[in-house]
Amino acid sequence: LLFGLLLRLCVICYHLVISPDSPQSPVLEIGTDFAATCMITNTDEVTADDLYWTLSGTVVPKEQYTRINKTALSVTVPITSEKREWLLCRCKNVSAYVVLNKGRFMHGIFLTKGYRPGKPENLSCIAVQEERYISPNITCVWEAAGRQTGFVPTTYTLNVRSNIVHSPIVSVGLFPNHETLDIWVEAHNTLGKVESEHLKEEANWFVKTNPPSDVRVISERTFPTSLLINWAHPIDEVYVKLTYEIRFCPSGSQNWTYVPLVDTAKGIQSFRLQNLQPDTVYVTQVRCKNAIERGYWSNWSTNATERTPEDRPRSKPDLWKIITEDESTARQVWFICKDPVLSNGRIIRFDIKIQDHKDRVKNRSGELESIPVNRSKADPSPSQQKITILKQISLDDKKSVEVYVTAVNSVGKSPEASLVITEKVNELPTVKDLKVQRNGGQLCLEWKPPARPVSEYVVEWVSGSRIDWQREKGSTKNTVIKGSLEKFVSYTVSVYPLYSGVTGKPASKEAFLEEGVPLIGPAVKLKGKPGCNEAELVWNEIPQHSRRGFITNYTIFYTSGTKTHNITVPANTTSYTLKSLSRSTKYDTWVIASTIRGSKRGFNHSFTTLKYGTGEIEGIVVGVCLSFLFVVLLTMLLCIYKKDVIKDNFWPRIPNPGESTIGNWSPDYPLKTETPKENCLSGISVLDVDVCDGKCGSEDDKASLPLKKDKYLSEEHSSGIGGSSCMSSPRQSVSDSDEGGDMADTTASTVQYSSVVASSNGYKGQTPNFQPQQAIFSRSESTQPLLDSEENPDMLLQEGSRQSQHFSRQPSFTHTAGNEDSADPADFNQLEMEQQVLEPLDFCPLEEETTPTDGQSADGLPAALVSSYMPQLGGYRPQ
Amino acid sequence: MNGHVKSMHFQQFMEPAATLLSLLLVMAVDSTRTVSASRNPGCNSLQQTLKLTRLVEKESVDLIKTYKVSQGEMSELFCKVSVNDVPDSNISGLEPSEWIVSIFTHLQAFFPHFKRVYEQQTDLQSPTSPLLAELTTVSTRSRSLAAFISSFYQGLFPNLPVPEPAGGPTTLPPPKNVFQQKVYGCVVLKTYKEFLSNVSQKLRTLKPKVCRRRMQINTLFFF
Repeated sequence: LLFGLLLRLCVICYHLVISPDSPQSPVLEIGTDFAATCMITNTDEVTADDLYWTLSGTVVPKEQYTRINKTALSVTVPITSEKREWLLCRCKNVSAYVVLNKGRFMHGIFLTKGYRPGKPENLSCIAVQEERYISPNITCVWEAAGRQTGFVPTTYTLNVRSNIVHSPIVSVGLFPNHETLDIWVEAHNTLGKVESEHLKEEANWFVKTNPPSDVRVISERTFPTSLLINWAHPIDEVYVKLTYEIRFCPSGSQNWTYVPLVDTAKGIQSFRLQNLQPDTVYVTQVRCKNAIERGYWSNWSTNATERTPEDRPRSKPDLWKIITEDESTARQVWFICKDPVLSNGRIIRFDIKIQDHKDRVKNRSGELESIPVNRSKADPSPSQQKITILKQISLDDKKSVEVYVTAVNSVGKSPEASLVITEKVNELPTVKDLKVQRNGGQLCLEWKPPARPVSEYVVEWVSGSRIDWQREKGSTKNTVIKGSLEKFVSYTVSVYPLYSGVTGKPASKEAFLEEGVPLIGPAVKLKGKPGCNEAELVWNEIPQHSRRGFITNYTIFYTSGTKTHNITVPANTTSYTLKSLSRSTKYDTWVIASTIRGSKRGFNHSFTTLKYGTGEIEGIVVGVCLSFLFVVLLTMLLCIYKKDVIKDNFWPRIPNPGESTIGNWSPDYPLKTETPKENCLSGISVLDVDVCDGKCGSEDDKASLPLKKDKYLSEEHSSGIGGSSCMSSPRQSVSDSDEGGDMADTTASTVQYSSVVASSNGYKGQTPNFQPQQAIFSRSESTQPLLDSEENPDMLLQEGSRQSQHFSRQPSFTHTAGNEDSADPADFNQLEMEQQVLEPLDFCPLEEETTPTDGQSADGLPAALVSSYMPQLGGYRPQ
Repeated sequence: MNGHVKSMHFQQFMEPAATLLSLLLVMAVDSTRTVSASRNPGCNSLQQTLKLTRLVEKESVDLIKTYKVSQGEMSELFCKVSVNDVPDSNISGLEPSEWIVSIFTHLQAFFPHFKRVYEQQTDLQSPTSPLLAELTTVSTRSRSLAAFISSFYQGLFPNLPVPEPAGGPTTLPPPKNVFQQKVYGCVVLKTYKEFLSNVSQKLRTLKPKVCRRRMQINTLFFF
């Protein structure tokens, strides 16, 4: 009452009211039009013309308004969006009262929108078996149709009604077996409700039982092609009467064979499978569903496996051969075979009979040989894939044999298979244009048949020691290899035509099921030693099992560290010579083997090229030697042809003193004028020594070495004696006296004032033999006492000999003296100095020529020279 | 038997025209195959009732086994003792309408006894005993069976009054000792099983009559 009173007061206090007023939040169906009317109450301040509508704050266009009367204005708005919104009726500010009481001139309703529920579709229900009964829980699924909004949710109600009990839902905890159930779903919301299609079926229609239990398969020896299947009903027939479905397949296969449903009568618990393969393991499964037309199949039962009994082999063994040929020996033939396709049991032996092909017509009886085989039943692989080596024989090229083989199992023997191996020269023609191609993971073969009719073909593929084959009909021109081939393995595929059992000549091709990158690269190495600019590389072919494909080419790489070169060579190449290499350079090289799938690099090999090639050094040596020889010869020739010039240059002509007029000199005829000349000759000879310094020398000179100093000493003495004081040097004298032995001292002391120049005639004791060049002795006319040597022939001889040597071989002498006697450089310098000193003396004789010799006296000599001579100390014997 | 007689009658009637209807025969064979007995509402109801009767009978057999196992020693002896105040297993009435009503009445009469046995065994058995569950199941199935019988009866005899449950109170035995309770329970179940067996027999006798109409049509076309 209070609420009503308040509501009434509230209504009174408002001047605008919207109809429909109840409910205040109407639920509207999206897609429809909604009409509302705004009425003015309890006031005359405004009229309907002053009213307007807003929807979500937006003024509704006046085209949607309908003026009902002076106090009522309706509006029609389309319901399009799903969002909830306010629809307000408002009043314009037409008076101060309206402005001051704005709240009283506004009224609104809240619009909630949604969709009508859609009709549930695809209703299905299922009741599964639980233990011995069907579960009372019926699970139903359906698809909700239509749209719904969150503000107007749709509720679904599942209804199950029994036709007998007429209860709306099964609530007794038991599945209503044999009752007819009416199941439907009702969808409803604020805007309405709708029912799905009714499922009005017998309750067992919804049942899904367990699969048949205890499925057993029984093999009966007397029925090798039959198996008996027994099973138990998963549920008692009083609940659900079942029908069954059976399927079976050989073990390992997934190609199920289904027994037609018409053959499996309702309620059966056993069935006999027929027309099976003997000695084959079969897997059998059974499932069930209720016997009425529709319903749910149970899951398949677990596998029941049993092997059918054995039967005698019904097909021939697959007989084949392997022939290895060696030129030196006869053909080696292995007869191999596979078990019959319809072996119908475990093959326990093969019976083989080999006979000469030419004797075949005469007598077919041959020696039968049994070859036992031991096959394990536990071996899962089909026996038809096993290859048995029956026998090996040596077969002459000119012989042919025929082989007969039968397979025997525990029940009986198979039909006979035969094969004829002909003479090698009479091999029958082969197929033509054999092509082997990869296609879809298989090797496809195509060939053209030979002109002669072929009974069948044998397609053989060999990889290493593994061999397999398959047979094709004689009309076949293409096939695929049905055996299991491995990827990346090279197979030699051969096609043999068979002419009524006689093997023809095969056609073969190499093939890969799939090619890959080689496992290893070629190992490269040098063949021999590298040259200066070239090196020969050699590599081995990759082993067959590592190639994994056809080698398309080899690429040789070599680098000296800066730039890498590569050369591609054909696949049949295993060596290559690198050229244009740099001398004395280290090269790294490797070889890449390529297939269509990729390349594999081999190991690096390093080598260093030679600096000189083979024979280069020998050539250079020979060239140098020849050049040297040429130079020597040229020099010799030059010497020969220009010997006079050379002689003149190197050995200037020295006047023979022997031919001098002094040779006619005798002590009795003093030759005053000659003496200076002699002295001058002596001086000239000293100059010549300078010219020949270091160039001349001989053993003789060396031998005469002791004489050199003597000569000098003699010269000094003679110069001193001969008045040629210019040749005397005090220093030299001192030096000589220092170096000289007693003899020198004696001489220096004895020859102060005279020099004895003896001619050969004057000294009879000297012969030319001992003094090859005549010594010239001149006798001073000095009044000085003679030397001991003059008085003593022995002394004289010795002294004379020295002087004669000096004159004859003066250049060599000087040279040798410089090298040997004056080993001390000081001595050598001393000599040079002496020569320098002596050089101006060359002209002294000329001066002396102008100066009379006999006028030679102590007064005539330079003071220095004079003073350089030491007074004789008394070592002279009186002359 | 009646159906068989009718069949012979139609055979004799239709024999002269058999040749003329040979063409229709071939066509009819195919069509009649699709006309199953399930299309006959009475037959369908009878078959459902029969199936449910066999189901309850089977469950009652299982129940007796369970009961014997759960009663301990001398269980076989319990079931050989006769007890009064237990509904008769025999069905009265000669006409189907009569014995169908009798079946319905008997079923109604067994319900209080099931309840009494359940109460007694509740005191004797553990709550998880399968005997109690099976008792409940059989009792519930029996109610469904009664509904089936009623529905079948209404379908078969729509002009007859609907069978009503027994109006008077069922006479239940007075409280007894445990031994007597066990004997009573076994007798009730055994009697009920026998009753269901009789029901099955009775219903099977009715099956040819109810489901023969279509078969008669088929026979008509075959002969």
